[in-house]
Amino acid sequence: MSGVRDPATRHTPSLVPQSRPARVATLLLVALAYYASARLGLGLSLVEANVTPLWPPTGVAVAAMLVLGRSIWPSVAVAAFAVNLPISDTLLAAAVTAVGNTAAPYLAVVLLDRVGFRRQLERQRDALAIVFLGALGAMLVSATIGASTLVVDGTIPLADLPTAWTVWWTGDAMGVVIVAPFLLSLPLLWELEPWPLRRWLEAGAFLLAMTALIGWAAQSQLPLLFLALAVVGFAAWQLQLRGAAPVALVASLVATWAAVRDRGPFGGLSLLEQVATLQAFNVCVALASFVFASLVSERRREERELERAAAELEEHVQKRTLQLSTANARLVQEIRERSQAQEQLTVEEARSHREHEIAETLQRSLMPERIAELPGVAIAARYVPATADLQVGGDWYDVIPLPDGLVGLAIGDVAGHGLQAAATMVQVRMALRAYALQDPAPATVMRGVHQLVSQLRVPEMVTLLYLVHDPSTGSLRFTNAGHPPALVVHDGEATYLTDGLAPPLGVTSEALFSEATHELAAGATLLLYTDGLVERRGASIAKGLALLADEAVQSVATSPALDLEGLCDELLEAMLDEHQVADDVALVALRPILSADGSLSLRLPAEARVLVQVRGAVRRWLREAGVADVDAADILVACGEACANVVQHAYSGEPAAGPLEVEAHLAQGTLELTVRDRGRWRAPADRGGGWGLQLMRGLMDDVGVEHTDAGTSVHLRREVAIGVRP
Amino acid sequence: MSELARLETSLVGETQHASISGEIDLSNARLLLDTIAATMPDDAAVVVLDLTATTYLDSAGIAGLFRLAERLRIRRQDLRLVVPPDSPIRAVLHLTRLDHVIEVDDSPPDVSASPAPEPA
Repeated sequence: MSGVRDPATRHTPSLVPQSRPARVATLLLVALAYYASARLGLGLSLVEANVTPLWPPTGVAVAAMLVLGRSIWPSVAVAAFAVNLPISDTLLAAAVTAVGNTAAPYLAVVLLDRVGFRRQLERQRDALAIVFLGALGAMLVSATIGASTLVVDGTIPLADLPTAWTVWWTGDAMGVVIVAPFLLSLPLLWELEPWPLRRWLEAGAFLLAMTALIGWAAQSQLPLLFLALAVVGFAAWQLQLRGAAPVALVASLVATWAAVRDRGPFGGLSLLEQVATLQAFNVCVALASFVFASLVSERRREERELERAAAELEEHVQKRTLQLSTANARLVQEIRERSQAQEQLTVEEARSHREHEIAETLQRSLMPERIAELPGVAIAARYVPATADLQVGGDWYDVIPLPDGLVGLAIGDVAGHGLQAAATMVQVRMALRAYALQDPAPATVMRGVHQLVSQLRVPEMVTLLYLVHDPSTGSLRFTNAGHPPALVVHDGEATYLTDGLAPPLGVTSEALFSEATHELAAGATLLLYTDGLVERRGASIAKGLALLADEAVQSVATSPALDLEGLCDELLEAMLDEHQVADDVALVALRPILSADGSLSLRLPAEARVLVQVRGAVRRWLREAGVADVDAADILVACGEACANVVQHAYSGEPAAGPLEVEAHLAQGTLELTVRDRGRWRAPADRGGGWGLQLMRGLMDDVGVEHTDAGTSVHLRREVAIGVRP
Repeated sequence: MSELARLETSLVGETQHASISGEIDLSNARLLLDTIAATMPDDAAVVVLDLTATTYLDSAGIAGLFRLAERLRIRRQDLRLVVPPDSPIRAVLHLTRLDHVIEVDDSPPDVSASPAPEPA
C-alpha cells in the first residue's frame, strides 16, 4: 500500500493551508464562520442573550482546529471577542469570555490529539473521545470562565450561576457534539471513496425525511421527537458519518429552535425541563449519529479487513497448496527414481552374487577332489581361499597321471578374479590335461596352452609351472611361464628350481619355452605354490621366498617321512596369518616313496583307471630288481588279471570301490606277488570266459586263491631270472 | 580316444587297416574294439588289425577280439591280426587259444603289392 495513504489511518490535519494567501484566507473564513454560527447560536439563547442551549461556534472552532491545525486559534479568539463585545457589559468581560471560548476548543483539540483521535470518527474510541474529552471535558473551561464573568460584571445574580453555568456548559458541549461531527464529515465527502449517485439520493432522502419528521414533531403537542432517533440511526447504519451528521444537525437545530420558541413538546415546560429535555434529545441524536456510525464503520472496516485477511489467507493457502503439490510431485518422482535405482541395484547385486557363485563352483571343480593315488609318489595339496577378498581367485593346481607311470604336476594363476578368471582357468586346465596326455614333454605342453591363452576372446595373463616326474628314475622335467619357482628340500637344504623360465602366458605373441631338468633324489620333497604363500604386505618377494625356504627345511625335518599332509598344514600355518589371508593360496607337495627293503607295496582304489599305474609301478619295480623283460611281461599280465578281477568283481554292488592292494617280494630268484581286496570272490566261471584265471595259471608257476570274510587274496609265484638287465 | 592306446585306421582297396599302439586293458578294451567294429566300412572284405605296437593285452582285450571277430564274421568280413613273434602279447594269444580262432600274421601285409602275400 505505498503511494496513497489510507485516509482511515490519517492522524494529522491534512488540510493545513501551505501558502500565505491561502492561510490568511483560511483564517478569515474560519473567523467568519465562527461569527456567523455565533449569530445563529445567539438566536437560540435561553438565558439573556449570552447563554444558549446550543452554541455552534464551539463545534466550528473544534472542527477547524482538528482539520486545519490548532494554529488557527487567533481567528477563533478574534471572532469570539467580536461576538461577545456587543453582548457584554464591559470590554474586559468580552475579552475574558473570548479567552474562555478560545481556550476550551484549543484544550479539546490538545486532549483529542493526545489520545490519538482521528477525525474520520470511524472508531468507537474516537466517538467516545469527542463526547467526553472534546465536549463534556474541555467545555468545563469555557462554561466556568463565561458564567463567572457574567456574575462578576453583574449581568446575572450569583444565584443564577449554577443554571447559567449548566446551560453554558451543555450549550458548548452540544455545539461540539452536534456541529463538529457535521463539519468533520464534510471533508470526508471527497477524502473517502466517492459516493455513487445512489448514495447521494439516499442521503438526500434521509435529510428530507428528517426535515419533514422533525418539522412536524417540533410543532406537534405529542412528545414524538424520539422518532428522529430512528431516522438518524438508520442513516448512520446505511451511510455512516457522512450521511448521519447532516441529518443529526438538522434534527438538533430544529429541536433547539422549538425549545427556544416553546413550541411543540417544549411548550409549558420550565427552563430546566426544557434544557434537560433538549440536551437529552441532542445527546441521543449525536450518539445515534456518530457513535453508531463509528460502530458501523468499525464493524465494516473489520469486516473488510477480515475479508482481505481471508482473501490473503486464501491466496496463501492456494500458493502453499501449489508449493506443496509441486513438492509432493517432486517427492513422488524422487521416490519412484529411488525405487527404480534400488531395483536396478538389487538386480545388479543378484547378478554379481550369481556370478560369484558360478565362479566359486568353477573354482571348486578345478581343484581335484582327491589327489590321485599314484604308485611311487606321495602327493598332498591345499587350497586356501582369501579371507579379505570375497572374490574367487585365479589359483589352481592339477595332478595328472600320465602313461608309463609318469606324473604330471601343474600349478598356475590366472590374473584377475571372478567369473572371467575362473572360466579361463577351466579352459587352461582342460587344455593342459589334453596336451599332457598327448605328449607329456613340458615345452610342448606349454606351447599348446600358450596358443590357447593367446586365442582367448579376453586374453588373460596366466602364470603356469608344469612338471613331469618319472618316479622310476626320479627325474623332473619342467618349464615355467612366469610362476614362482618350485622348491626342492633335501638333506636340510632348500633349492629353488629357477631354470626353464619363460614369460607368463598370454603376454607375448611368440613364446619360446625351454625344458629344464632336475634329479629328484630319494627322500627329497618337491613344493609347488602360488604367490599368495610368499607375498605379504610391506615385504619383498625375495624375503618371502627366503622365509618359505627356511620354514620348509624346518617342517620337513620335523614331520614324519610319509606325512605330506601334515607338512602342508605346517607350512600354511607358518607362512599365513590364518585370520588374514590376503590372496588365495595353492600348495602342492610331492615326495618319491622309498621301497627300502626291496619289496613293493601299493594300495590304490579298485578302479579300472588305476590298472595302468599298477602295471607301471610293478614294471619299474621289476626292472629295478633286475628281472628279465620276458619274465616281467608275463608277470605284468598275471598281476594285471588279478587286479582286473578285483576291479570288476570284488566290490560290485557296493556304492564305492574299495581298496586294491598289491604286494610283491623277490627273494632268491622267486617272485611272490599278492593281490588283495576287501570284497567278495566269485567263481571264475561267473566272469567272461574265465580267461583271467586261465592266463594267471598259464603265466605263473603257482596261483593260489584264498578267500575269507575279510576279502580275497590271490597269491602268484614264479621263478625269475635276475640280474640280466638289457 | 584314450590316454592308454591310440587307434589309427586306413582303407586300402578292399582291405581295412587298423592299428593299435599302447596298452589294451579292462579300462579301454571295449571302447577300442567297439569303435573298430562300428567304423568298419561294409565294402571292406578284409580287416587287418595290427597289434605290433601293442605292449599289453589282458583278458578283457582277448574277449574284445573274440567279439570283434564274431561280429565281422556275421558281416562276412575276415579279421586278421598282426603280432610279431617277439611281442609281449604273444603269450596271451597262445594261452587263450585266440590264434586258433583268428588268423595271426607276424607282419603286416605288403600294401604296395596288390594281392596279399602268403603269411611266412
